[in-house]
Amino acid sequence: MIVFRTFLKILKSCKAPIILYTVLLVFFAGFNMESNDSTSNFTAEKPDLLIVNHDESFGFTQHLIDYLEENTNVVTTLDNEDQINDALFYRNLNYVIYIPEHFREDFLNHKNPQIQVKSTGDYMGSLTEMMLSQYLRLADIYNTIFEDEDEMLEHLSKSLSNKTKVEVTSKLDTNQLSRIATYYNFLNYCILAGCVYVVCLILFSFKKDTIRKRTIVSSMNYKSYNRQLLFSNSLFVFVLWLFYVLLSFLLFGTSMVTLHGMFYILNSLVFSICALAIAFLIGNLIYNREVINGIVNVIALGSSFLCGAFVPIDFLPDFVLKIAHVLPSYWYIQTNESVKLIEEFDFLHLKPVYFNWLMLLIFFLLIIMITNVISNRMRKKEN
Amino acid sequence: MFFHNFKYALKKLIRNRMLLFWTFAFPIILGTFFSMAFSDIENSEKLHVIDIAIVENDVFENNLLYKETFLALGDKNSDEQLFSIQYVDLAQAEELLSKDEIVGYLFLDKTPQIVIGANGINETIFKYVVEQIGQMEDVFQASLENKLRDSKDLTSLDSWYVELYQQTMEYFNKEQAMIQDISSTHLNYTMIEYYTLIAMTCLYGGILGMNVINQCLANMSSNGKRTSISPSSKWKLIFSSALAGYIVQVFGLLLLFLYTIFVLQVDYGSHFFLVVLLSLIGSFAGLSLGVFIASLFPSNENTKFGIIISVTMLGCFFSGMMGITMKYVVDQSFPLVNYLNPANMITDGLYALYYYNTLDRFCFNLVSLFLFSFVLILISIFSLRRQKYDSI
Amino acid sequence: MGKAVVSVKKLTKQYKNLKAIDNLSFDVFQGEILGLLGPNGSGKSTTINCILSLLNFSKGSIQIFGKEMDPSAYDLKREIGVVFQDVAVFDELTVFENIDYFCGLYISDKQTRRKYVEDAIHLVGLEEFQKFYPKQLSGGLLRRLNIACGVAHKPKLIILDEPTVAVDPQSRNNILDGIRFLRDQGSTVIYTTHYMEEVEILCDRVIILDRGKVIASGTIDELKKLAKLEEKVTVEVYDLDLKYIEEIKSFRNALEVSYHNGVLLVTYKKGKDNLVEIMEYLKKNKICYHKIFSERPTLNDVFLELTGKELRD
Repeated sequence: MIVFRTFLKILKSCKAPIILYTVLLVFFAGFNMESNDSTSNFTAEKPDLLIVNHDESFGFTQHLIDYLEENTNVVTTLDNEDQINDALFYRNLNYVIYIPEHFREDFLNHKNPQIQVKSTGDYMGSLTEMMLSQYLRLADIYNTIFEDEDEMLEHLSKSLSNKTKVEVTSKLDTNQLSRIATYYNFLNYCILAGCVYVVCLILFSFKKDTIRKRTIVSSMNYKSYNRQLLFSNSLFVFVLWLFYVLLSFLLFGTSMVTLHGMFYILNSLVFSICALAIAFLIGNLIYNREVINGIVNVIALGSSFLCGAFVPIDFLPDFVLKIAHVLPSYWYIQTNESVKLIEEFDFLHLKPVYFNWLMLLIFFLLIIMITNVISNRMRKKEN
Repeated sequence: MFFHNFKYALKKLIRNRMLLFWTFAFPIILGTFFSMAFSDIENSEKLHVIDIAIVENDVFENNLLYKETFLALGDKNSDEQLFSIQYVDLAQAEELLSKDEIVGYLFLDKTPQIVIGANGINETIFKYVVEQIGQMEDVFQASLENKLRDSKDLTSLDSWYVELYQQTMEYFNKEQAMIQDISSTHLNYTMIEYYTLIAMTCLYGGILGMNVINQCLANMSSNGKRTSISPSSKWKLIFSSALAGYIVQVFGLLLLFLYTIFVLQVDYGSHFFLVVLLSLIGSFAGLSLGVFIASLFPSNENTKFGIIISVTMLGCFFSGMMGITMKYVVDQSFPLVNYLNPANMITDGLYALYYYNTLDRFCFNLVSLFLFSFVLILISIFSLRRQKYDSI
Repeated sequence: MGKAVVSVKKLTKQYKNLKAIDNLSFDVFQGEILGLLGPNGSGKSTTINCILSLLNFSKGSIQIFGKEMDPSAYDLKREIGVVFQDVAVFDELTVFENIDYFCGLYISDKQTRRKYVEDAIHLVGLEEFQKFYPKQLSGGLLRRLNIACGVAHKPKLIILDEPTVAVDPQSRNNILDGIRFLRDQGSTVIYTTHYMEEVEILCDRVIILDRGKVIASGTIDELKKLAKLEEKVTVEVYDLDLKYIEEIKSFRNALEVSYHNGVLLVTYKKGKDNLVEIMEYLKKNKICYHKIFSERPTLNDVFLELTGKELRD
């Protein structure tokens, strides 16, 4: 077990980066739970809106405000323009409406008063704009039909209250599932970076000392040495994976003890195995300790950005997603995204998941094969 | 002597491939990732065509408003196309929904009803459109009643009907004249990413400073021992080395600017001079971080290197490199973290420059960066003043 | 003896609970090569670092060329050249650039420096490797570069801290020749090493340190006289009964007797005719032997005797 003991010693020396990756993960996952990510999951369909009213809250103006309060999430805390701009930029606020002075009067007198707005220009912004323009359009029409304000407002209210009956077939808690998916997507970065960094460091240390060690431990043959090395690394990856899975249990509680949770966990396990293979490949390729850090960051950040671990996958342009097909991370994240939407766990719905796993498996075998070819060639070169 | 050491420090830095990777190549690689990942983000946030189905029954066939409106909204040749519509029967609609091929379907009975798979943005839009058509019906009805009330003459009812119908449709298709959008034009989400990239490059520059200072200190490296016993002033050595580090760092920054501007087509706005100024001060902050870590942590260069990389990465993470929300959440919930975070000072300064009309916040960040560097340098000086050590 | 170049008086260096140097005093005289010997952890490197004013020390004084040593005593530093135990060169600079860089910290005149650098390269025989980077050099060449970097500025006092660790015999001879050459040019040399044979052929005078104290000093002959053992007799004999060994132990001058793998080793305190005595004894008992020879003790024996034979870290 000398290999294993040495392994532990080396592992101890590189705990700092693993802690760093974990801190990033916890922050990322934790904050995502606090801030309702408006882009990937929005369920209440209530955009955050700020009303800056320069008119008197009376009659038509009050009616508009009431309508907006009913249909949006009206924010009241922001008061200066800088704060408003900040909030808009960070999508903490979707829309701002500035009601001008004498709005009601001008409107009733057909003077076409202008309402100034600020919008994030995203889904939520467009939605608010739709709502507002629908209201104003209706009001405008009724205003031409009816002379009397009260009569106009009465018709307006009636029309606006005309809601469509909506039936939702899905019973999924999409909010929570999205959060879990976000966590597991970010895990792509942590697992990849953690695996590649540690395994490379270990393979490199052993590579450097192989000759010395082989003479010292002459009773151990090369095969058993390799097997122990493989075992140690696999064990490390397994522990790392287990740690992150336990962390997800801590963060999401019972939501993880569902079929959805099961599939997220299984998926991350499949990916971890693939990551181990990648780590072995890179570990065999490097010849210089100093390059490990750079390679880890390029690979982990690269596949995370290009496959949608940080940026929601819907936002990625098509050509990037096409490129991403050659990266295992893509298939891992695709699975997370499809698990999020699965309602019935039958073969038909799980087909894409199984396909992705098959792809990961193919990647795994391919990488292992390449690793073997390369390490064989390197050993020959050494001789 | 000053120049001699400066010259060689420069030589050492530009021949160190690992340092150059981190300060020159890595930001450019990351920038390329950004530009790939975010090239579409602003576009994809806008609405795109939504797949829906409509159950074809008698009610729908006879309701001109619904029929015409959906025909218009589903027109493939129109720029305004909102839906891609399949006209099917109820069973087919249910099947399409269960296969996730549509977001929902409309079933027109006495009242309109829509069935959707889950709650989401597209479903909401679908719902709003259906509601709007209902409201059009209302308007139509109301104006009809109004007309009838005013006039008892029912002979021209048919022509009224058509006229009113057209009028109503017109109203709904009219461009909204009452809303005036005054949003800032510079609402580019991706810019923050490039700002964090600049921040990262500035702070990674600290590696260069750390490397050269480390080699001047007897208690940190064996080369430092050798330089320490020479008859050259320690301050001259440190200052010329740090200057060399700074110059290489600024050169790396220059490369990044050239690459992002000319290859990735990033637009840094009209205050380019101030962007450069902030980056130069940011690089200085990076340098002082490097000097600070070189002089205060009694460990080998690899560890110090790791510390700088980790501090920078964490800082960039908090200032929004891996998701903009992070910056806002930290700004809101843990403002102190980002007040002390040099990566955020740079990111926020650049952001403020781009987004605000006043320079207050920009200046605040500039001053913060100065203070940050000043404090680190001051602490470093106290440690660097020592010429003799208790142990080596 | 010339005048003292380095004068260490009552030097004490205390780490937390360890006295690394304990009331140490010694002088180094003009033009000599002084060997500083001692087992690992005896305080050699610490002493050197104190002399160079890199380390704080608790008590005592250090004078170089008659002046108090201080970190900002640049005129003194100008005259000192040091070769440290670790190879201290820059990986990013070539052989020539490394020497030029370190030399440039002492000599600002470009033409003088150029000549000095060339002299140093010649001294260590690296002419063919000027454009090489340290990573391309073998261990021995690297050590030579290390030395060249330390002495290129032609210092009057040269301190070498184990410069020949892990060096092949060719490089070692080159290095030792170089050091003698520098002494002949008028430099004073302080030389620390583990290799006794180096000290025996190189040093004019030796100081043996142990646990931060001087336990012996003097010329090599003086040191050898200090030792209890005078003579060592080695006999190659294949078959030797234990009782004979016991009898040999009772010889008049015998100090120690050991028998391993057919080699009988007898050490003597002093005295004459030890060789004759044992030859006659062997003859009398009809013991067959192949080879027999007598040796004077080496410095190694002296060193081991003075510092003890138990293993140290």
